Amino acid sequence: MRGKRSGAFTALLTVLTVGLVGCSAGSTSTPSTSTSSPSTAASGSATDGGTSSGPPTSQASTSAPAGDGTMAIGFVLEPISLDFTQTDGAAITQALLLNVYETLVKQDQDGQIVPLLAKSFTASPDGLTYTFQLRPDVMFSDGSPFTAEDAVFSIDRVKSDWKPSVKAGMDVVSSATATSPTELTVVLSAPSRSWLFNMTTRIGAMFSRTGVADLANTPIGTGPYTLQAWNKGDSIVMERNTTYWGDPAPIKTMTLKYFADPNAMNNALLTGGIQVVSTVQTPEALSQFSDTAKYQVIDGSTTGEVLLSMNDRTPALADLRVRQAISYALDRKTILDAAWSGYGTLIGTHEAPTDPWFADVDKYPYDPEKAKALLAEAGQSDLTLRLALPPVGYAAAAAPIVISQLAAVGITVQDSDVDFATWIKSVFTDHDFDLTIINHVEPRDAPTLFGNPDYYIGYDNAAVRDLFAQADRATTDAAANTDYQQALDQIATDAPVVWLWSFPNLIVADAQVQGIVANQISAAFELATISQS
Amino acid sequence: MTELLSTPPGRRSDRRVSPLIVVGAVLVGFIALAAVVSFFWTPFDLLYLDYQHRSAGPGVNGHWLGTDLRGRDIASRLMVGARTTLYVGIVAVGIAALVGTPIGILAGMVRPGISEFVMRTNDILLAFPALLVAIILAAKYGGSVTTAMVAIGVASVPGFVRVIRAGTMQVMSTDYVRAARVAGRSGPATAVRHVLPNVSGLIIVQASSAYAIAILAEAGLSFLGLGAPASVPSWGRMLAEAQSQLTTAPLTAVWPGSAIALAVLGFNLLGDGLRDRLDPRLLGR
Amino acid sequence: MLWPVVRRALIFLVSTLVASLLVFWVLDNGCEPARVALGTGGTPAGVQALCAQMGLDRSLVVQYLNWLGGAVRGDFGTSYVTRAPIGPGLLDQLTVTLWLVFGSMVVALLIAVPLGMASALRNGRPTGYLLSGLSQVGVAVPAFLAAILLVLVFAVNLGWLPANGYVVPAADPLGFVAHMLLPWVSLGVVQGAVLARFVRSAVLDELGQDYLRTARSKGLTPVRALIRHGLRNAAIPVLTVIGVNLVTVLVGAVIIERIFTIPGIGNGLAYAADRRDLLTVQAIVVTLVLIALLISFVVDVTYSVIDPRLRTRAAS
Repeated sequence: MRGKRSGAFTALLTVLTVGLVGCSAGSTSTPSTSTSSPSTAASGSATDGGTSSGPPTSQASTSAPAGDGTMAIGFVLEPISLDFTQTDGAAITQALLLNVYETLVKQDQDGQIVPLLAKSFTASPDGLTYTFQLRPDVMFSDGSPFTAEDAVFSIDRVKSDWKPSVKAGMDVVSSATATSPTELTVVLSAPSRSWLFNMTTRIGAMFSRTGVADLANTPIGTGPYTLQAWNKGDSIVMERNTTYWGDPAPIKTMTLKYFADPNAMNNALLTGGIQVVSTVQTPEALSQFSDTAKYQVIDGSTTGEVLLSMNDRTPALADLRVRQAISYALDRKTILDAAWSGYGTLIGTHEAPTDPWFADVDKYPYDPEKAKALLAEAGQSDLTLRLALPPVGYAAAAAPIVISQLAAVGITVQDSDVDFATWIKSVFTDHDFDLTIINHVEPRDAPTLFGNPDYYIGYDNAAVRDLFAQADRATTDAAANTDYQQALDQIATDAPVVWLWSFPNLIVADAQVQGIVANQISAAFELATISQS
Repeated sequence: MTELLSTPPGRRSDRRVSPLIVVGAVLVGFIALAAVVSFFWTPFDLLYLDYQHRSAGPGVNGHWLGTDLRGRDIASRLMVGARTTLYVGIVAVGIAALVGTPIGILAGMVRPGISEFVMRTNDILLAFPALLVAIILAAKYGGSVTTAMVAIGVASVPGFVRVIRAGTMQVMSTDYVRAARVAGRSGPATAVRHVLPNVSGLIIVQASSAYAIAILAEAGLSFLGLGAPASVPSWGRMLAEAQSQLTTAPLTAVWPGSAIALAVLGFNLLGDGLRDRLDPRLLGR
Repeated sequence: MLWPVVRRALIFLVSTLVASLLVFWVLDNGCEPARVALGTGGTPAGVQALCAQMGLDRSLVVQYLNWLGGAVRGDFGTSYVTRAPIGPGLLDQLTVTLWLVFGSMVVALLIAVPLGMASALRNGRPTGYLLSGLSQVGVAVPAFLAAILLVLVFAVNLGWLPANGYVVPAADPLGFVAHMLLPWVSLGVVQGAVLARFVRSAVLDELGQDYLRTARSKGLTPVRALIRHGLRNAAIPVLTVIGVNLVTVLVGAVIIERIFTIPGIGNGLAYAADRRDLLTVQAIVVTLVLIALLISFVVDVTYSVIDPRLRTRAAS
C-alpha cells in the first residue's frame, strides 16, 4: 500500500557512513563493504560526472557454497498478485525485487548506489545523460539473453504500461536508447538526483521483452532465484536460478511462508516450521527467543518512520498551537518502551538513523503542562479528535498509550479500526480523518510527505517546498544536504505530525542462519545472501 | 466458534426450580452486575496505564487480576468488557426477536402454502451463519461493533422464526383459540390476545440461547479484528492481544477466556433451565 | 416415492438462486471495486474507465446473469485485485477445508457418542450430572480458545506436534495428519460437546420407549438393550443435527484456519474480505451457501426416505 513517490536524493546516499546499527546476539552480514568512506563517495555520485564500477557480484557478504539446503522464512503480508507493475503492495517487491528481478544499479548496505546488471555507469557533467555499460553474460530465466534492448523496453514500459503511482519516477526520462547490445543511454529532461535512486527501486526492475505476458503469475527476471510455486494463501517457493550470472545462492530452495497471525509465525519458529521471522510484530514476545544458543535476534534499522499523522487541514489541527500541544503531550520514550518494547530509535523530524543528516532534534520534549497551556490559548480545552487505526501491530500497540496521554491533557480521542482499503479511501484520498498512526516505510520520502500540500497530511509550507526542489537540482552532495537539513528542521518546528519512533528491522532467526541483511534500506528482502551453517 | 442452531429438549417432567436455572442466573447476574457497576466505578481508570507494571500478576500494585501487556488493569477492562458483551448481545438478540417473532407468529397462523414459503425462505437465511454475515458486511463496509451486532442479529432471526412458528401452531390448535376463531375473532386480535402471551416463554428461552451464541460470535469477531476497536474493551480482543504473551504471562489470556466461557455457560444453563420449566406442548416435539 | 425428491430438488435449486442473488445484491457496491483495484494510483477518470471496463456500470440484473452464466460452469471470473481466475484456487481451498471439517466431525463423534450415551444412562445420578456439566462447559469454550491452549501445550511446550502449517495429504500422509491433529481436535472437542447433548437427549427419548422397557424386562442390561435396539433410532435426530451444524463448522473454520495458517476457504474468505476483493468474497460465500443448502437437501431427502410419515407429510 502507500504508493508514494520516493522523493529520493540519490547522491546524498553516497556520503552514508553508517554501518550496521545495533546488531545483537550472533548477528549476521560481515561488513565487507569497503566503499563507505566519504572519499570514495564521488565514484557513485553520478551527477558529479564520476564513473562507478563495482565488484563482479553483489553478494559480497556471502561466501557460503551453494548446497542443497532448504529454508523457510516467515512473512506477514502475502502478495496480492506477483505483478508490481500493476498493483501496489510492499509484499510483491519484498518477495521479488533482487531475488527474481534485478535492477541496473542497487543500494549497498551503506546506502551507496553500486552497479548490478550494469557493469558501470557514467553521467554527463550537466546531469542529463547517463550511460550504462551492461553485463554481457546475463540471461533471463526463460532463456533469453539480457541486452540493452530489454533495458530500453523495461524503462519505456514503466511510462506506457505501469499503473502504480511510483511510475512517476520515470517521468523525467526523455529517451532511453540501446547504443549497442551492452550499452544503454538515458537522457533526462532535467537533472534529477532522485532518478538514479529510483532506478534501484522496483521501477528500475529489468524485464525480458518476451517475458511479460503473465507477470501476475509467472515473473521472469535475471535474479538469483526463480519462482517455482505460489501456493496461494500459504507460501511462495523459490528455486535457485542455475543459470545465474553471479555467485549462486547458497540455499537451493527458499520458501516464503505467509502468516496472517503474528503469533502463529512465532510459534512456527519455536517449533521448527520456519527458520526466520522476517518482521517481529510483537516485540513483547521476543523473550521467548532469549536462548542465544538456539536463536538470534537481529535489531537493525529500516527507513520507516512511525507517525501520528495529523490532518493539518481540519480547523483545530490547522492551528500550530494545537499541533504543538499534541507534540508536547506525548511522552515518546514511554510510548516506544510500552508499545514496542523499546526497540527502535526516537526521532524528532522525518529522518531515519541511517540518513546522513540524522540529528538528535527534539523540539517538543514531553511537557503536559505546556500542552494544556497551549490548548487553552488556542481555545481548544475541550477537543475531541478521531483516530483511524490501520490493521498493523504498531498502530494497535501505540494507540492505547497515545489515547491515554492525550486524555491527560484534555483531548478526547475516538479510535476506530479501518482496513487498508478504507484507510486509503478516507485518510489518504478523501482527507477525512483527524489522526492516524502509520509507518512511512519508503526511504527518503520527506518530499513526498511534506513537499506536496495535497498529500494526505495537508502540510503546506512554500519555503520547505522550495528547499526540496533546490535540493533535487543541486549539483553537489553538500549543497543538497544543507537544503535538506534546513527543510527538515523547519518541518520539525511546524509539527505537522508527531514522529513516534524510527521503525526497527527486528528479525528473529535460528542461530545457524547467516547472512540476513540487518539494515533494511530498500523494499526488497534479499534471499541470496542467506546461508545456513 | 460453534453455534447451536437448535438446542435439544431437556427433560420435561421436572417442575421444581432446577439447579440449572440457579447456576445460570447467578452467572448471568454476576456479569450484569459487573457491567452495571462499571458505569459508576472500576478499580482503575480505563485510560490509566501502569507503565512500570506491565503484564503483572494478580495483586501487583493494587491490580486485582494483574495488568495486560500495555499496563492496563485487567479487572477494570473485564468489567467494561462485560458491558460490551451484554450490549452487543442485547442489540443482536433484540434484532432477532423483533424481526423473528412476528414472522414466526405469522408463519404459524397463515395457510400452509404461505407458511411453507416463509419457512423455505427462512431455510435460505439459515445457510448464513453470523460469522459469514459479519465477513460479508466487513467486506463491504469494514468491520465494526455495528456490523458485528447486525450480523449476529440477522443470523439469529431464522432460529426465532422456527421456534415461534412451532409454538404458534401449537397454540392455534388449542380448543379455546379455535373457539375464538369460530366466534369471529380476527387474525391480528388472536395473535395479540392468545398467541403472543403463550409464546412469550418461548421467546425468552430462545433469546437466552441466542444470547449465548451472540457472545461466542462477538468474541470470535473481535478475535479476528472485526469487532470492537482498541479503546473499547472486549473479551475477545483482550484474548487476542494476550496471545503474544501466552508463554510468559498466560494469566492475561486466562481471565478473558474464562469470562467468555462463563458468560456462555450462564446463558446456556439459564436457557436450558427455563426450557425445562416451560409447557412441553409448546416445544412442539 | 420420486415426487418428493424431485420437489425437494426444485426447492434446493430455487433456494440456491435466491441465495446467490441475495449475496450478489448485498455485495454490490457500484464502482468501488474499480477504486480498490487501482489503490492509491486511482484517479476519478481512471476509476470510471476501469469501472466501465469491468462492466460494473451495467444494471445489477445484467451483471448477475453474466456472473451466473460463468458460475454454473465453475468460472467465477477473474479477481480484479489478484488478476487471477478465482475458480481454480477456490477448489483447492475447499478441499483443504473439507479435510478439516471432516476430520473434526470424526473427532466430535468420537467424543459425543460415548459421552452422550454415558450421561444418558447415568441420568439423575452424580456421574450423569458431572458428564452433562462437562459437555455444558465444552459448549461454552470458544474453539479459538481451545486452539490457542492446545498449541501452547502440545506444540510449543511439549514439541510433539507442529504448531501450524499444512501439508498436502497425497505428498506426505503422516505429515498431513501431524499438522491436522491439533486443528481437528480444536474444532472437534467443542463440536463434540454440542453433539453430546443431542446424543444424550436422543438416547433418553429411546430409553423411555416401550420396546426398550420390554427388552430390559427380558433381562438385557440397559447398555445391551440400547445398543441392540435403540441406537439406530437415536442416530436419526443426531445425524440431522450434524447436517445442520456442518454449515456452522464450515464457516467457524475461519478462525481455526487463521490460527493454524491452513490455506482453506475460510482463510481465503477472511483474506479476500480484508482486501475488499468483493468478487472473490462473493464466489466463496456462494460456494459455502451452496454447500449448506446441499447438506440440508440431502438431509431432507434421506429423512423423507427413511421416515414414511415425513414422506407423506411432505407430499401433502
